[in-house]
Amino acid sequence: MKKLLALVLSAIMALSMVSFAAAEENVVLKVVAWDVNTTTYYAAQKEAFEASHPGITIEYIDVASQDYGTKASTMLAGGDTSDIFMVKAVPDILNWYNAGYAEPLNAYMEKDNYDVSGFVGMETGYRYDDQQAALPFRSDFWVLFYNKTLFDNAGVPYPTNDMTWEEYKDLAIKMTDPANNIYGCHYHTWLSAVVNWAVDDGVNTLVDGDYEDLKYFYDLYFALEDAGACMPYPEVSAAGLHYSGAFGNGNIAMLPMGYWYVSTLINNIKDGTYNVTDWGITAVPHKEDVPAGSSFGNLTGAMVNKASANKDAAWTYVAWLCGPEGAAATASTGNRPAWVSEDVAAVMSSVEGFPTDENSKQALLPTMVSIELPGHPKASEISTILNEEHSAIITREISVEDGIMNMNDRVAEVLGQ
Amino acid sequence: MSQYTLSREAKRRKGSLERKKTLVALSFIAPNFIGFALFTLIPVVIAVFMSMTEWNGGKLSDMHWVGLSNYEALFAVPQRYIDRLDNPNFFSILGLFFDKVDLGIALKNTVTYTLITVPLTLVCSIALALVLNKAVKGAVAFRAILFFPYVSSTVAICVCWNFMMMKNGPINQLLMLFGSTFNKTWTADSNMAIWAIIIVSVWKSMGYYMVIYLAALQGIPRELYEAATVDGANKWQQFTHITLPQLSPTTFFVSVMLVIGCFKVYDTVALMTAGGPGRATKMLVTYIIDVFNAFNYGSACAIAMVLLVLVLSVTLIQFRMEKKFSAD
Repeated sequence: MKKLLALVLSAIMALSMVSFAAAEENVVLKVVAWDVNTTTYYAAQKEAFEASHPGITIEYIDVASQDYGTKASTMLAGGDTSDIFMVKAVPDILNWYNAGYAEPLNAYMEKDNYDVSGFVGMETGYRYDDQQAALPFRSDFWVLFYNKTLFDNAGVPYPTNDMTWEEYKDLAIKMTDPANNIYGCHYHTWLSAVVNWAVDDGVNTLVDGDYEDLKYFYDLYFALEDAGACMPYPEVSAAGLHYSGAFGNGNIAMLPMGYWYVSTLINNIKDGTYNVTDWGITAVPHKEDVPAGSSFGNLTGAMVNKASANKDAAWTYVAWLCGPEGAAATASTGNRPAWVSEDVAAVMSSVEGFPTDENSKQALLPTMVSIELPGHPKASEISTILNEEHSAIITREISVEDGIMNMNDRVAEVLGQ
Repeated sequence: MSQYTLSREAKRRKGSLERKKTLVALSFIAPNFIGFALFTLIPVVIAVFMSMTEWNGGKLSDMHWVGLSNYEALFAVPQRYIDRLDNPNFFSILGLFFDKVDLGIALKNTVTYTLITVPLTLVCSIALALVLNKAVKGAVAFRAILFFPYVSSTVAICVCWNFMMMKNGPINQLLMLFGSTFNKTWTADSNMAIWAIIIVSVWKSMGYYMVIYLAALQGIPRELYEAATVDGANKWQQFTHITLPQLSPTTFFVSVMLVIGCFKVYDTVALMTAGGPGRATKMLVTYIIDVFNAFNYGSACAIAMVLLVLVLSVTLIQFRMEKKFSAD
């Protein structure tokens, strides 16, 4: 009897030890993110990751979207030990890196021989002093939307993935038909929609203090406006005309816009709210000396918290999330992952309502994506100055030359030059 | 003598009664004052302190004391502009301040806006009140209609006015009938953008001040007019010698409120022009918001102090003038 009892007791002990060991093996990663319940890809990412990585569980900490930057910064400043922080805005991650909250990923990337080719340059947006502060998992870089019906009616061939800005200008003017109230192209009021293309070469940036490179795009815009190929800025601005309604109305042939517009377009066409029915996308045009398929965009990424106790597991998750497998999970919900590959393109183009032509699918494979406004301690001040001068240039209140001189002068003051 | 001095006991009792009275009085003031102290007084004091620091909203320990350098930076005219002057002197540099420096531009725009909006609103609301004070048919309906802009959503108002002031909008077309050659969207024109904001502001607030003036008009004793009529004064003389002087306390109140409101103008600007084109309608408050959004909390507080000094001095001058007027 005693023997049996001893046996049972030791068996229980052994069992409990096993279960204890198993419990310790299971790592719970706390991921701070925004709008977890309303953002479709979080659930898809969690499910796919946990299925392929037994022993690691993802637990989201939800923060309201509009307060994300402030709230996450406060958490980090307070010594929060959540393992991963999603990165919403580039200025945030720069602040976090400077404050020492971000675990630099260089050592992990070297150890794993991590492939960054699929980021087509986007990872540099999170690289400060050669330290990789985070990695991107989403990027709604800009593409060119076009209305196929208008091109068919006019008997003009569709835009292609390899088109210079001059060719684009000629095409827009050709497509313009004032008698039928058709515009060849449309520009939203943002500075980025008109001149951000200057950064597509990967050399120029909007924080470098030299804005001569914007002149080409202002001249291009004015040529289009003068030809009546696009609605004049003052009217778009005063009427508060939103690009989505403008293109959806069906009288605009081409619209350069961020990839995020795809899901709006698909949903509104499904609902029947838009007049547009047949559309496609191509890569944005490029300058002669810039390779086709170059664009710019914004990033959404993930950072490993320096105060995390599970940095290795956190890196495993970030590496997976931003790489091809995580990208497939993100793409399955119709969102644009940062990772660029044939597989991702295949998943994205299989979304219902996405154009079926080969060119639109090819447009999902950019060759290089630059950062719209890179991380810089003075990025916010610079952005205010550029927007102020932009509004004066684009309403023709000052000449392009004077406006650019003002940009150069005023940004130089901010940069302390 | 001794009967007039209170006994010790009485003195003590009187003291405790007074203390009690004071406590009761304080308890009446307290609810309002605590709120005022917590949400206005203390923040203002902190803002004065913060205007002399450099802080980006991160850890409190990152806050640095910088003395007056935020103010220096706000008022400084960059050397590169001075170097370009043919003949740099005090006036040409002052001109640069109002032409090139953010603070100078914001000051110039805000003061221009205030100097035009305040008298215009005063004149419009007095005129409306005078007209509607008479027993005109439908006066009540007109009063309601004129008050309507004040209670409407500013967003809706600005969207509508933006449409009306577009290049081919109804206002430009109307002006063209009178021989105007202006053919641009108002908010996209450096000279007209500020007028667009002024017109909307006047239109929006005149109904409210009209109501205040109506109340004041009804408080003027009828006998004054009767006496004036007997003395042979005409309508205009009655207006300048009775109505206006009798309205002066109201005018003082309205102008103080208007001046303060004008210096703080933000929503109309943000909705109609966002400070543009260029910096043509950049106001002090829009400037504060820009700097605040760039996480330069110290500088933003310093601009707010400039605004405070401006509003305070104008209000003090108005009080002085009011005293002088009422003494006359």
